Amino acid sequence: MFFQTEFTHVIELFQLPFMQRALLGGILTGIMGGVLGSFTILRQLSFFCDALGHSALLGISLGYLLGLNPSLVLLPFAVIFALAVSYLLEHTRLWTDALLNIIYSSSLAIAIIILSFVGQYKGGLNNLLFGDILAVQQLDLVLSSLLLIVCTIYIGMTLRTQMLLTVDESLAIARGVSVSTQRTVFIVLLSLVVGISIKSIGVLLVSAFVVIPACAARLMSRTFTHYVLLSAGLGALSAVLGMVSSAWFNLPSGPSIVATQLAIFLTAMVIPRLRSVTHSPSTLPPQV
Amino acid sequence: MKESVLTVEHLTVYRETYKAVQDVSFSLESGTDTSIVGPNGGGKTTLVQAILGILPRHSGEITILGQPLSRKGYLPANLRQQIAYLPQNFLVDRRIPMTVNELVGLGWDKLGFQLPWANHKKRSHAVRSALKRVNASHLKDQLIGGLSGGETKRVLLAYCLVYPRRLLILDEAPAGLDIKAESEFYDLLYQLKQEQDWAILQISHDLNMVRQHCDRVLCINRTLRCQGTPEVALSPNSLSALYGTDFVQYHHSH
Repeated sequence: MFFQTEFTHVIELFQLPFMQRALLGGILTGIMGGVLGSFTILRQLSFFCDALGHSALLGISLGYLLGLNPSLVLLPFAVIFALAVSYLLEHTRLWTDALLNIIYSSSLAIAIIILSFVGQYKGGLNNLLFGDILAVQQLDLVLSSLLLIVCTIYIGMTLRTQMLLTVDESLAIARGVSVSTQRTVFIVLLSLVVGISIKSIGVLLVSAFVVIPACAARLMSRTFTHYVLLSAGLGALSAVLGMVSSAWFNLPSGPSIVATQLAIFLTAMVIPRLRSVTHSPSTLPPQV
Repeated sequence: MKESVLTVEHLTVYRETYKAVQDVSFSLESGTDTSIVGPNGGGKTTLVQAILGILPRHSGEITILGQPLSRKGYLPANLRQQIAYLPQNFLVDRRIPMTVNELVGLGWDKLGFQLPWANHKKRSHAVRSALKRVNASHLKDQLIGGLSGGETKRVLLAYCLVYPRRLLILDEAPAGLDIKAESEFYDLLYQLKQEQDWAILQISHDLNMVRQHCDRVLCINRTLRCQGTPEVALSPNSLSALYGTDFVQYHHSH
């Protein structure tokens, strides 16, 4: 009886337009994060993605300081910032993780200082850090859909190139692939995905959408194509399950989605171990 | 009739501030097997990487299949797909979920903007043939991260063979192969050279193998010290000049 009442309640909730927009936004972000994430983790750009998310706060705060719409400032800022960081990483002799640490912690600090001057935004810092997927608007969905189409076409049509680049750059160059062009396009797409997703899931959790579904898919895949598709599928699935559990238990939506991603990842970790335990022959010596 | 596949003129390449290759000139014809020999750090890999456009060159000209390689390493796609390269240190990240079938398939045809399933049947057929040719059909569904060093070399060779080429560049390719696989490897190179007119350029440290299998030798120690047939280029005097030490030759049978 309790279950049926709660189920009806959730169904009613998802009939509300803002919940439908949130669900669709989550699915679109999940798919985009999954597709790009599958290459991001293999190219060891997870921390780069995290730094990008944290630094986006600087873009938003600059928008407020200059009296501009932060959403309009965020995307160009994310792209320029990502390209600048990418250039720095290629042209300095410092360790990548150390350099990224400097960039993301200092941009976070500067952003908080700027926001402290912008009195009207003090109360909304929580939304920036953790996002508010329920506030997703029609325009956000249009932008996400367009970006998903671009990402799908680009990754789909250059899949073999991306695969070879991921395996070995020198093999790709020998085949005439312009590594710098491919890298730049990928970084731009990744920064746009991060920038668009921040409104829904906030600067602290955005990298989870890129990293966790891809890691779970990696644990469950044996071919590259399967891996990319599964990563996208798990991104979408975790968004749906996370939204439903958020509605069911009245939990914050963004963190619920990330918690669902974690549950999927843990399941993906455990399943192969269980399978190997149940299928492996006994290791005990035969009894005489 | 032999045709020119690769021409290198007055090539100079820097690695950061160090002049790794200086004023090297040579040419390669179809249906020939040329070996680059020289001491460690002598610029052999740098030379090959500059020819492929992996490293930028400081000066000199490189012409591949009649087309000049641009300063930025650009060569038209239809020519690029006629070159295959097997690198010296191919370290596979064991976490990449890619099967041998998928890796070898990446060597097929050009890599431009195309649907991922385009020419799937032709590609699958070519992959099967290439794997069979290097005796690696049984590895087709294995993950590349789980291969041994020798198996990885064979799979990479299949990656090179999966599409008809004109120029095959190998950087210490047989290293890691057992005696049988090495012998099969050289037989295969001979077939490619004789029957399909491929030009082969390979870096090698095994001078006896070079003597036995190659038509021509380039002795490199930052610059081209000598070139010619194995008899000429691998004479004790040439080798002593190349490696900077007195050379005594011992022959072995394989």
